Amino acid sequence: MEKKTLRRIKRHDRIAAFGIRGTGVLVIAGVILILLLIGREALPLFSSPTATLEQRVALPDGLTADAVLAVGVDEYLQQAYVVDRQGRFIFFRLADQQVVSRLSAQSGVDDDVLTQVEPVSQYRYALHWRSGRISLQRVRFVQHYNEQGQRVSSVFLDQEASFAPVDALPNRTVVARSDQGSTRVSLLPGQTLDIEQQVTEEDFLGNETTQSYRSVLEQVHPDALTVLKLDHGGRTLYAATRSGGLLRWDLSEPGVPRLLDKVQAFDDHRAITALTLLIGDQSLAVGDETGLISVWFPVPTEEGPGSKRLGLIHALSVHDAPVEQLVPSSRNRTVLSLDDNGVAHLDYSTSERHLLTLVEKEPFTLAALSVRGDALLGLQRDGAVGLWRIDCPHPEAGFKALFGKIWYESYQEPQWVWQSSAASDEFEAKLSLVPLIFGTLKGTFYAMIFAIPLALLGAVYTSQFGSVRLREVVKPAVEIMAAVPSVIIGFLAALWFAPLLERSFPGFVLTLVLVPLLFVLLLLVWSSLRQRPWARYVERGHEFLVLAPLLVLALAMALQLGPWLENGLFGGDFKLWLFQQAGVRYDARNSIVIAFALGFAVIPIIFTMAEDALSNVPGSLKAASLALGASRWQTVWRVVLPSASPGIFAAIMIGLGRAVGETMIVLMATGNTPIMDWSMFNGMRPLSANIAVEIPEAPHGDTLYRVLFLSAVLLFVMTFVLNTVAEIVRQRLRRKYGRF
Amino acid sequence: MKTFISRGEPQVWLTAAALTTTLLMGLTLIVVVMINGLGAFWPSRLVELELQGGQKVLGELLRREPLPDHSGMRQQFKVGNRDLYGMDFRWVDEKQVIGRQWPQQAITVERSEYGHFFGFLKQVVVPQPEQVFDAGDSPWQQLASARKAVAALQDKLDEVMSQINSVNYALEKEQDRLLRFDYQGVSGEDPQRLAVKAEIESLKAEFAQLVRQQRQQQGQLTGYYAQFEDVNGRTKRIELDGIVRCYPSNELSLVGRCGIYASKLWELLSGEPRESNTEGGLFPAIFGTVLLVFVMSLFSFPLGVIAAVYLREYAGDGLMVRLVRIAVNNLAGIPSIVYGIFGLGFFVYGIGSGIDQLFFPERLPTPTFGTGGLLWASLTLALLTVPVVIVTTEEALGAIPGGIREGSLALGSTRFQTLTRILLPMASPGIMTGLILSMARAAGEVAPLMITGVVKLAPALPLDGQFPFFHLERKFMHLGFHIYDIGFQSPNVEAARPMVFVTTLLLVLIVLLMSGVAIRLRNRMKKKYTFGTF
Amino acid sequence: MKNTIDPLSDPAIEVEHLNFYYGSSQALFDLNLKFARRQVTALIGPSGCGKSTFLRCLNRMNDLVDVARMEGSIRLDGTEINSNALDVIELRRRVGMVFQKSNPFPKSIYENVIYGLRIAGIKDKAVLDETVERSLKGAALWDEVKDRLHESALGMSGGQMQRLCIARAIAVNPEVILMDEPCSALDPKSTARVEDLIKELRDQYTIIIVTHNMQQAARVSDYTAFFFEGLLIEFGKTGELFVKPRNKQTEDYITGRFG
Repeated sequence: MEKKTLRRIKRHDRIAAFGIRGTGVLVIAGVILILLLIGREALPLFSSPTATLEQRVALPDGLTADAVLAVGVDEYLQQAYVVDRQGRFIFFRLADQQVVSRLSAQSGVDDDVLTQVEPVSQYRYALHWRSGRISLQRVRFVQHYNEQGQRVSSVFLDQEASFAPVDALPNRTVVARSDQGSTRVSLLPGQTLDIEQQVTEEDFLGNETTQSYRSVLEQVHPDALTVLKLDHGGRTLYAATRSGGLLRWDLSEPGVPRLLDKVQAFDDHRAITALTLLIGDQSLAVGDETGLISVWFPVPTEEGPGSKRLGLIHALSVHDAPVEQLVPSSRNRTVLSLDDNGVAHLDYSTSERHLLTLVEKEPFTLAALSVRGDALLGLQRDGAVGLWRIDCPHPEAGFKALFGKIWYESYQEPQWVWQSSAASDEFEAKLSLVPLIFGTLKGTFYAMIFAIPLALLGAVYTSQFGSVRLREVVKPAVEIMAAVPSVIIGFLAALWFAPLLERSFPGFVLTLVLVPLLFVLLLLVWSSLRQRPWARYVERGHEFLVLAPLLVLALAMALQLGPWLENGLFGGDFKLWLFQQAGVRYDARNSIVIAFALGFAVIPIIFTMAEDALSNVPGSLKAASLALGASRWQTVWRVVLPSASPGIFAAIMIGLGRAVGETMIVLMATGNTPIMDWSMFNGMRPLSANIAVEIPEAPHGDTLYRVLFLSAVLLFVMTFVLNTVAEIVRQRLRRKYGRF
Repeated sequence: MKTFISRGEPQVWLTAAALTTTLLMGLTLIVVVMINGLGAFWPSRLVELELQGGQKVLGELLRREPLPDHSGMRQQFKVGNRDLYGMDFRWVDEKQVIGRQWPQQAITVERSEYGHFFGFLKQVVVPQPEQVFDAGDSPWQQLASARKAVAALQDKLDEVMSQINSVNYALEKEQDRLLRFDYQGVSGEDPQRLAVKAEIESLKAEFAQLVRQQRQQQGQLTGYYAQFEDVNGRTKRIELDGIVRCYPSNELSLVGRCGIYASKLWELLSGEPRESNTEGGLFPAIFGTVLLVFVMSLFSFPLGVIAAVYLREYAGDGLMVRLVRIAVNNLAGIPSIVYGIFGLGFFVYGIGSGIDQLFFPERLPTPTFGTGGLLWASLTLALLTVPVVIVTTEEALGAIPGGIREGSLALGSTRFQTLTRILLPMASPGIMTGLILSMARAAGEVAPLMITGVVKLAPALPLDGQFPFFHLERKFMHLGFHIYDIGFQSPNVEAARPMVFVTTLLLVLIVLLMSGVAIRLRNRMKKKYTFGTF
Repeated sequence: MKNTIDPLSDPAIEVEHLNFYYGSSQALFDLNLKFARRQVTALIGPSGCGKSTFLRCLNRMNDLVDVARMEGSIRLDGTEINSNALDVIELRRRVGMVFQKSNPFPKSIYENVIYGLRIAGIKDKAVLDETVERSLKGAALWDEVKDRLHESALGMSGGQMQRLCIARAIAVNPEVILMDEPCSALDPKSTARVEDLIKELRDQYTIIIVTHNMQQAARVSDYTAFFFEGLLIEFGKTGELFVKPRNKQTEDYITGRFG
């Protein structure tokens, strides 16, 4: 051979080998590795939150920590502000400590000073003046862009309401204001509550009239009240006592306060030291002198409809010292708590997840959360203000929230619930994966009990009893069945089969009786006919031809007799009967539809693989058994099936894997209701359908988005395990029989 | 009888029954799809019912079923005239029917809006009747000639529309350039920028001119209309440009019916969808499906074959390779929705957003590649089908006896020569099988597409005459998703039924044809090389 | 015999101290022998004695096995085979091989024969045609197939296929042809034809044939080597070895006491 040619072809060989190896490894590694990347998207759900100190500056204007009554920070974490005793709101830049503006709140009384500032909600404060006046102030940041395109923010301080002092000097006063009016509740000596409500009403001409109501509740509790809390609308009043009592009044009817609850929260009579309402005004966070943070909300009781009683729902983290301050997040159900030692804890109420603990050398005296919940502004005893950035993108997630029973607001007990979105902002996403996993298992279960017998028996017949020509026709036919797109199966199941089933359910029930009946009849007739010569032909693998008309006949008869049965047994309406007799609601898209549809998708897979396994059993084995005088069924039952059993097992595993991951069929035919009920008349929502339903609504990087990735990981793991088991079994078989 | 049972014959019959049930189920599916799909376009006759109380109903009989209380039968009619009656369908209790006839003059009008109209033609109005009609024409003939005139006008209008589209596209491009200048901080006096601005102005002027022209032509069209009357005598004016097709349903001969059927079929294959996808054609969906499968094959086929060649011919047979083989076999069984969500996270939000930030930063936050599109959907499907291609190719290569390889190598050929001259040609039927199977799977797959770029109505095809012709970032339509969408998301499910079945039939035919070919190919190959292991 | 030149004095292949391993197990032990030019040497021995392995060392087919390792020296006309510097491709063109099971490619007869030329990049039709005719004639197949050169090779009978494989091997003009039990899968008639062919080819090629058929070895070979458990037990002229084996094991094997 010419040297040149040789060099050329060898060069080609080297390049090709390099290219093929490179591409091959890359493709395989790529395909395998990138699937693992799905896991990475879901991982942040479980990451533990961290807080990092970003800035720490001294208080402006030489203020000391004692002189500051409240702190806060803007949405972009650029400006912080403090409120001093003179009622001044001092805004300063965190970066360079430069004071941006000073806005003063006034009580209208000369030389008045503040005694207390109570944060009402984000950027809203109730200012308690020494003169007894109370004013509601709101801080407003307005963002705009200057000519250079930079963001500039201006601040405003609005007075939203002002309350005149009460006659007696109150121990404590809480106020609230809403569009409908304002509420003031003052605690007077002797555990007496003085409630004043101003209701603004607009008549049909647009004239506003304000009506004032006043009521006094005397001696509401034998022990001293320690904390009062009004919700944002001023409709519910909470109070706590030194001995661990919790009280709740309904103030929604002006002038007629109604005591709803008077419970002894803790048996050890510990003093309750702090109260706050979490977003949504339903959950009451309670801090006590032992340092425990607990969450309470009204739970329906058995006493009657509408009756609710405060109950201890969640016990969050425990401080080493009495709880001093509770700050709710304005985004979610996170609560920040500060104790006497100046240690801050961050907890997520619903899932009882302790997010983080912040212990600094200089204890905190005041703390606030940013609007987005991504930072904590803390005032420390040495007079420094620090901004801690909180990295906790998914506080509502975590193992317990996703897999444990969670007691959600307005639920009677802890439950597994999936409800990812609702119209209101205060809605809390309920992201338990358990109902979805249940849905997957339920759908798979029903599909498999339908598919396995049909597929396996059919495979046994095709491989062992059917004629060769039958096998040549049936195998491709079943493979073609496997190729039917699942969207088509789902569509037919939901829009053709489900209505049919709903209309003639009794008919289908009747089929279950008629088919075996006719089958037995046929066998009886056949056992006497089988000596005829033409019967030999049928028994040489053409039994199914005789059966086809029989089955069609049985089905047709059943459907014809169905209405008659419905009239006779079920009083003319099966669905009504079912509901009245069994209390079961009949959903049009139910588990029976799923069993048929998903079963239809799975049967060809199990059938094909089981058939392969059965026909690969060496003929010599069969021959040996038949030669010993065993009948064809005995041979199959005692010889063929045992040796093919690993292959059949693998077939079922693969079928299971397909059923678990099938999406379009379950999406279309299950009704997608995330309920946990094994009833075959109800639908379900499997993991796969859930992904398809929810992902268009899930913003990139959001908790829901990551939870959906997590469910994809779950699906991946489930199918991977099933397939691997099957694959290992198959490889073993392959080595045993040489081919498979 | 006794031996019959003791020999286990009943059990054998039971297995036969299982097989029969399975096959019957498959058959039922095909038959249901066929009957509903093939019958959907057949122009059925219009029946006129006279009800007790004098009311009349004109429509197509759809089905007959027992009343809910089993006291008799009821019939469902498609009565059309949604704009008059508010609904297209109506149940009629048979007990109420006192008269039934098939009026010769009844006409079915398919409109581009409000669905079908069933009724009678009264009068045809055109701006210059003497130029359009011959004397003595019947109203029906008048309608035909008027529609011809309208079609000519409409062709002109379509031309203007396409001009408007291309001007619009050019305008968008120029505005993108302007955005890019903004982003790059090019000053307002830059000559290039001024040129672009001038171009935009001239395009805008052209656009305005075209819109005027369009409006004027539309104005001409409104002069052509026809007066119809429904069965109860209510008159309805229908603009001729709103008529897609009309025919006297009860007068049609068999040939005429076939003609209507063929014309509907042609519209299905070549036309655009109308009435929120429940009427009209499937062309964009067919085109999207084909293009999707094509682009997917471009990725999955070479990569899958190379990976399989690597696994079988170049990698050794160690534990690692065995594990990889298990993993690859395994990947073929991973649910498609998992691939879909992966495509969303990795391709769309990962690579797509990266591309946007690198190449199209001026358009942000409007995403270009950072949103679902044909490319990402194809890549996702490629990922999904690569294991199928790898497995089948590997099996085909593995089925070639080792002696063939040795024979070639012993003659002094390199491994690459052995591969290209002997092995790949021998394995090609197997590889083709894998390819066709994966294409069939891709054509029928919906779940991963739903989250990576398929839409119910795409404004433009991913392939058109505008530079750069291939718009891989565009969203697209797909037959499978079409079924899901019109079957489940459509406001008028009953009216959408025929269309869903037709789409289903089309998809079933495509997929079954492809897999049928693949299965045949494989079985023939199995016979050819008896050493095959499939 | 003394007066003629000993063919072994100018051997085509010289093997010295050859050891061969499959992973950790040794398959061949310190082999030393020479193959006479333009003579037929038969390798005999019971199954698993290493004769096929040895044969595959001669054109380095064992390279295809990952765990195989070869030590020692094999020289083809003085060129060291067991060396990284050697070009395996070129070696295999000089040392052709015919396998136990005939392995024609699923191509036409014509394409099968010229496969070796095609991969060497030869496109000249005249050369190709000439080679096909020469090789097929050389393999005594020409008359049987000359009318269906472009039909598939897979339609031939077993014996024809094996002769086609021989034709394919001689088409590239090798110096040595290795035959690994070429007749084991053939009927007696085809075997006889292939044996005749081997005798004819002796004039042009050095032939090394592995066989477990002692009669065949005696019929076709000039020299015979007896292998047992990876060792070369005895080597000599075929006539001498079969008539008067020097070694007890050889004698036992030849007389059929084991094997």
